[in-house]
Amino acid sequence: MGSDKKKFTELLSVNRRNFIKFAIGGAVGTGLSPLPWKLIDDTAIFTQNLPWVPVPETGKFTKVRSHCTLCPGACGIEVRKVGDRAVKIEGRTDHPVNPGGLCPLGMGGLQLLYNENIRCKSPLKRVGSRSTGEFEPLSWDEALRALTHQILELRSNGKAGSIVAIDGYNSGSTVSLMIKRFMKAIGSNNYIRLPSMEGETAAVSKLMYGSDTPVAYDLENSDFILSFGCGLLEGWGAPGRLLNTWGLWRSAENRENATIYQVEPRASNTASKADKWIPARPGTETALALGIANVIIRENLYNKTYVENCTAGFFEHEAEGIKQRGFRDIIVENYNPDRVSEITGIGPDMIISTARAFAGAKTPIAICGKGKGTLNGDINEFMAVHALNALTGNINRPGGVLIGARPPLSELPAPEVDEIASESLKKPGLTLGNAVLKEYSSQTSAIAESILKGDGQEVDTLLVFSSNPAFTIPDGGDFYQSLAKIPFIVSFSPYLDETAMMADLILPDHTYLEKIDDMECPSLQYSFYGMTQPAVAPLYDTRNTGDVIIRLAEMIGGTTANSFPFKTLEEAIKSRVQGLFDCKEGSGKYNPSDTPSKFISAGTGVTPDFKDFKGMWKQLKNGGFWYNPLSHIKNNADIFNAPESKFEFMSSRLKSLIEASTAKPASDTLEEPLYMPHFRGSEKSDEGYPLMMIPYEMINLSSGWLPNPPYLNKSLFDSQLKGDDSFVEINPETALAYKLKEGDKIQVTSAKGSASVRVHLFDGAMPGVVFMPMGFGHMAYDDFSFGKGCNPNRLMGANIDPLSGQPAWWYTPVKISKAI
Amino acid sequence: MEKREGHDNKYGMVIDLDKCTGCGTCMVACAAENNVTVRADESDKERSIAWMQLYKIDNGRPFPDTEVCYFPRPCMHCDEDGRGGHHSPCVSVCVATATELDPHTGIVSQIYARCIGCRYCQAACPYHARYFNWWDGYSSFKPFSKGMERSLSPEVSPRMRGVIEKCTFCHHRLMRAKTKAYAENRRDLREYEYITACTEACPARAITFGDLNNPDHMVSRLIKNKNTFRLLEKLNTQPKVYYISSKEWVRKLADNYLPDQIKPVSGNDI
Amino acid sequence: MDSALIPEGTKRCSAPAFFLWTLPWLLLLACGGVSALLCLIFGLNQTNMSNIFAFALWIVADLAVIALGAGAFFTGFLTYIIGKKELKDIINVAVIIGFICYSGAMGMLGIDIGQPVRGWFIFWHANIHSMLVEVSFCITCYLCVLTIEYIPIIFENKKLNTVREFHLFGHNLHHIMAIFAATGTFLSFFHQGSLGGMFGVMYARPFAARYGFYIWPWTFFLFILSAIAAGPCFTILCTKLTEKITRKKLVPDKAIDLLAKISGFLLALYIILKIADTAGWIYGVIPQAGQRLMDFYREGPYGIWMLICEIGLFGIIPAILLLTPSLRKNRLCLIIASLMNCAGIVLNRFVFVIVTLAIPVMPFERFWSYLPTWQEWAIALAVIGYGFLLFSLSYRYLPVFPKERELNPY
Repeated sequence: MGSDKKKFTELLSVNRRNFIKFAIGGAVGTGLSPLPWKLIDDTAIFTQNLPWVPVPETGKFTKVRSHCTLCPGACGIEVRKVGDRAVKIEGRTDHPVNPGGLCPLGMGGLQLLYNENIRCKSPLKRVGSRSTGEFEPLSWDEALRALTHQILELRSNGKAGSIVAIDGYNSGSTVSLMIKRFMKAIGSNNYIRLPSMEGETAAVSKLMYGSDTPVAYDLENSDFILSFGCGLLEGWGAPGRLLNTWGLWRSAENRENATIYQVEPRASNTASKADKWIPARPGTETALALGIANVIIRENLYNKTYVENCTAGFFEHEAEGIKQRGFRDIIVENYNPDRVSEITGIGPDMIISTARAFAGAKTPIAICGKGKGTLNGDINEFMAVHALNALTGNINRPGGVLIGARPPLSELPAPEVDEIASESLKKPGLTLGNAVLKEYSSQTSAIAESILKGDGQEVDTLLVFSSNPAFTIPDGGDFYQSLAKIPFIVSFSPYLDETAMMADLILPDHTYLEKIDDMECPSLQYSFYGMTQPAVAPLYDTRNTGDVIIRLAEMIGGTTANSFPFKTLEEAIKSRVQGLFDCKEGSGKYNPSDTPSKFISAGTGVTPDFKDFKGMWKQLKNGGFWYNPLSHIKNNADIFNAPESKFEFMSSRLKSLIEASTAKPASDTLEEPLYMPHFRGSEKSDEGYPLMMIPYEMINLSSGWLPNPPYLNKSLFDSQLKGDDSFVEINPETALAYKLKEGDKIQVTSAKGSASVRVHLFDGAMPGVVFMPMGFGHMAYDDFSFGKGCNPNRLMGANIDPLSGQPAWWYTPVKISKAI
Repeated sequence: MEKREGHDNKYGMVIDLDKCTGCGTCMVACAAENNVTVRADESDKERSIAWMQLYKIDNGRPFPDTEVCYFPRPCMHCDEDGRGGHHSPCVSVCVATATELDPHTGIVSQIYARCIGCRYCQAACPYHARYFNWWDGYSSFKPFSKGMERSLSPEVSPRMRGVIEKCTFCHHRLMRAKTKAYAENRRDLREYEYITACTEACPARAITFGDLNNPDHMVSRLIKNKNTFRLLEKLNTQPKVYYISSKEWVRKLADNYLPDQIKPVSGNDI
Repeated sequence: MDSALIPEGTKRCSAPAFFLWTLPWLLLLACGGVSALLCLIFGLNQTNMSNIFAFALWIVADLAVIALGAGAFFTGFLTYIIGKKELKDIINVAVIIGFICYSGAMGMLGIDIGQPVRGWFIFWHANIHSMLVEVSFCITCYLCVLTIEYIPIIFENKKLNTVREFHLFGHNLHHIMAIFAATGTFLSFFHQGSLGGMFGVMYARPFAARYGFYIWPWTFFLFILSAIAAGPCFTILCTKLTEKITRKKLVPDKAIDLLAKISGFLLALYIILKIADTAGWIYGVIPQAGQRLMDFYREGPYGIWMLICEIGLFGIIPAILLLTPSLRKNRLCLIIASLMNCAGIVLNRFVFVIVTLAIPVMPFERFWSYLPTWQEWAIALAVIGYGFLLFSLSYRYLPVFPKERELNPY
């Protein structure tokens, strides 16, 4: 007993020996127990289920068909959904524009929907000073009342004309029509569309072809395309269509590949992938086109039948009793290859061979509209290019230039105008002081002109729809500055973009995936009409701008309310669609083996497949489309039979516009009338600015209103953007002259402004030219865009296009210096 | 399903560089399809993730003879050396068997939950097709989490930090297609029933996807083209991604050549 | 103060002086600790490693310390297996250095992997084809062996040795040390080799790829050889440094000289084989990949000089110095030769890790560069701090040098 007790106490006493025994025993025991192994396993399992790594909720997989309205390209999209969430956007394989594919922007669209950092989640009113982004939410009722009050007050003071609307909706969309109608109903002539090549295309169609609808190109059936700077692979026209067509042209199975010549100062994707790259000096494209015309005329390669029967102004003729030299003689005299070579930097041989190849092709088309075509074009260049098309006579036939036709939608009833409005509408709208072509060109720049130069035209209230002019106008920041001086700015943007940040009131629209909308696509070679449907229910307290306008009109009351005899946008769209049904033409189905271009080349139309209006409406409302492949193919006699509707090498319509214009552009030393395509060279001396800055656009960088969806940032190279610095491309030769190395920081300075960028040496850049990417330099949005790179628009606008009065953004004299 | 020896199917891809316009839609489609994370600074190319990566190349000639072209580079899904030599470069080195070459499909998989993040596979891959998650893609203060996680697909598990990820030839799409086929009582998939997201998205139709073991599939026909080549073919990694280019300088940039090793392709036809 | 712990019959500095000596090393350790925490909490974005530099400073440091720590197994092999009795005077140092190097390397590796908690998957889901699995298995086992070899030295501490169990345990371990030495040799042989194999098997990286014997590329054998050539020299350097700092002679010249001679011989052998291997690489692997040797050195800071340094400056010259008895016996000359030998192996490991990854394989890929962040430096330097600390503690409290009393009588 005693010894037992002793043993027991010995066992308990914490002497060194026991402690060690205990420790070793404990360690072995724990090691043998499952505890440590379980813990090790559990921690590993924990790393496989970290609580902050989301587990995407699953659900029923569905697909919603719709259209992408991010650009006027009208691609069909299919939104893949899981439960209520949209998880992917895919191209529609049953769509005539983009059978299957999409452009990167369309592909990244969900990040424009779900990124809450860029979205405007409810109506907002400004509380801080402008551009600081201090806003306060308010209810839709309050917001609409505030705007109604503002409009009513201006109207009662006889200042309805000082209300200005900038509309960035796709042209021909019902919302766009409603904005225009609203402006008219309240009594303002200041409905302004954003600049784009659509304006100049419409102008050239009217001035040379005498057509009220823009021309379009049947590129798919063409065998030779001479492109004057068109970014065919950079987002020009309808990108979904162009990229798809490019694949067809380049497919190994296709034996009738089109030959593509690209005129551009930089080895862009289009230039590199083209069969021939013609790097003419920037701003001399007109001369090149006329040089090619010169060769075609001198070598008698032009289509004589066509020129004789369907054109005017080619030969010597009499006008108003005075003998006038014709296009032929002026071109032959002034644009021989040697002189053009001096101007453009393109060898005479190349000019001659290009002319021969062009004129020798079966269905050659010359096209124009630089880059993506989202900015205004050079009207003179457009005219020169179309003169080439007229020389080959490849007009109004498959594979040629087609005279467009709008989809036969029903007209909305004319807006009603009351006394106040009609009084106010007598005052002219804002126009650029020296614009000859004000009817066709965007007058956005007139806002800045009138405010900054103070020429008496007043802007009191600015309504901004679906656009971000503070970022996109190539005017050296004039527009942005003028915003500060506008008393009241209302943005209808779904995003907190640069313009919205300057607004006093934001009435946020839905994004394109949350709403009903419709679009035409004027750049297509057939008429097309498509509708979007909400792919997801609106995420935030936003409203369709179409509905908001109807509600606003209702609140304003009187004739304004009467001008909107529909309760919703949908109702308005439906009433327009009736016309499509009534025309008994066109189809809503697409069969991959019968592409629109096949119909055009075969000359057979689609079988109309809409049985009743109800069915048609249902189909369209579910993201459907209507198209008529043969709409643009017309009887030649219909177009060119009357003398006034011949193709005009020397535009009588332009001539009368010039004569009517108060501000006549300076006359030229050459004996060339201003109303025919001509090249004058740079008027201004560029002293102090020895280099040229040319902005360039990329298909994987949103350069317009929208921020770049973050996924697209992955596809940008770090020689385009590195950290917060964007790069300009310059030729190694130019870099050597300035002692610049790859990645050096430089300051690019124009008469309008200065920017800090890095240098990327690129052999494909023309020496003496600084190429700056477009789309960087946002001062709004979130971490993915804010402060990244530099916006070339801030340097542009020093030159003005003499006919349109708009900034000649395609040519900016600059100087560069190494940043210290 | 009964198991057979060797590759039942050998999925592969042919990218026609003559058609490729370098637009980058494949990259965006891939990222959107596979829940790839985005960082605020995607210009940090060494650390950003792009399963499908676009490489811009040029012919190195001075103005005005410069020409650019693009190499879209997914995972090459390298295969065993037919001579019984080695395995795919990455599969053989992985310590935790987290990446495997599926003998039934030829697809090189990546098991995120098993990867320990040692990055040996990255070192072994000459194509830089493998990406490491240097960051937590989703923690609450990351810009990517600001609502954009709502577009995550439930078919692909989002990755945690510290693991390798790479192109899987959209393996979940194979599963999707198989499920559908089995439901319709079919054993074999039809051509194009299973295609990757990049193939589907390419607006120029430059990418063709299919079974290289099936002589009827377009890919099997395309790889017989004279202008078909693979990246770094000489290393004998046996990639299942092929390229077509009619341009000599592009083909030459696909591999390293000593002067006597270049075999010019005669003619540009099939 | 701590005199009870200090080995019998030896003289050590005062406790406060010793504490002051440890301060810088503690500081390094602390910095390393902070960096390690940052890496574990925020992830490896704390480093400048990237998808290009998947392996970087830490792996270079790992490979370097593991190679330098090879003195442990190789001295053990010479002492216990071959029976070079004179090396008993230096074996303890070799073991401690080995332990420091291996445990330090393991620590660094633990932070280097993206998912440290899953580290054991290497063993659980082992891919037997991977050289890195071989490395991991062998290093882990060998670290256990080193621990077992280290334990008896610890138990020889004056105070601990009074505990009967410790004394017996340590004593018995001493008896079977030959078994552990043999095990250690076997394990080390394979992991040193597979560390080299890791790079040699990357057949799609022509800069690192090598032909070989059966499944082992030549780098497998070269890494073993270079490690056992440099390891002993590192042991000599450590000993000499200790002697310098303590101002005592601690190891008989005979032991040092023998190690240096063997090292020199192995280095010479290694250099001959390395030259043969390089020739095979230049005329075999590289042209097969369509490249020329100089293509690898087109861009960036790395040039052909690295190869020349590796073989000539840090190979042939130290080999000659070490193999010439008169030079070898010159203390300064011996130290310079040892330093060059060690520098050569570090350069070799650097080239295999960093230069391999920096050199693009695809012709259109560019050359990348890499600079470590302070976090990476801190962790790498922490291993040095840890080494100094553990070695100092061992020296102060353990009879590391059996001949110390004999060589330094009171």
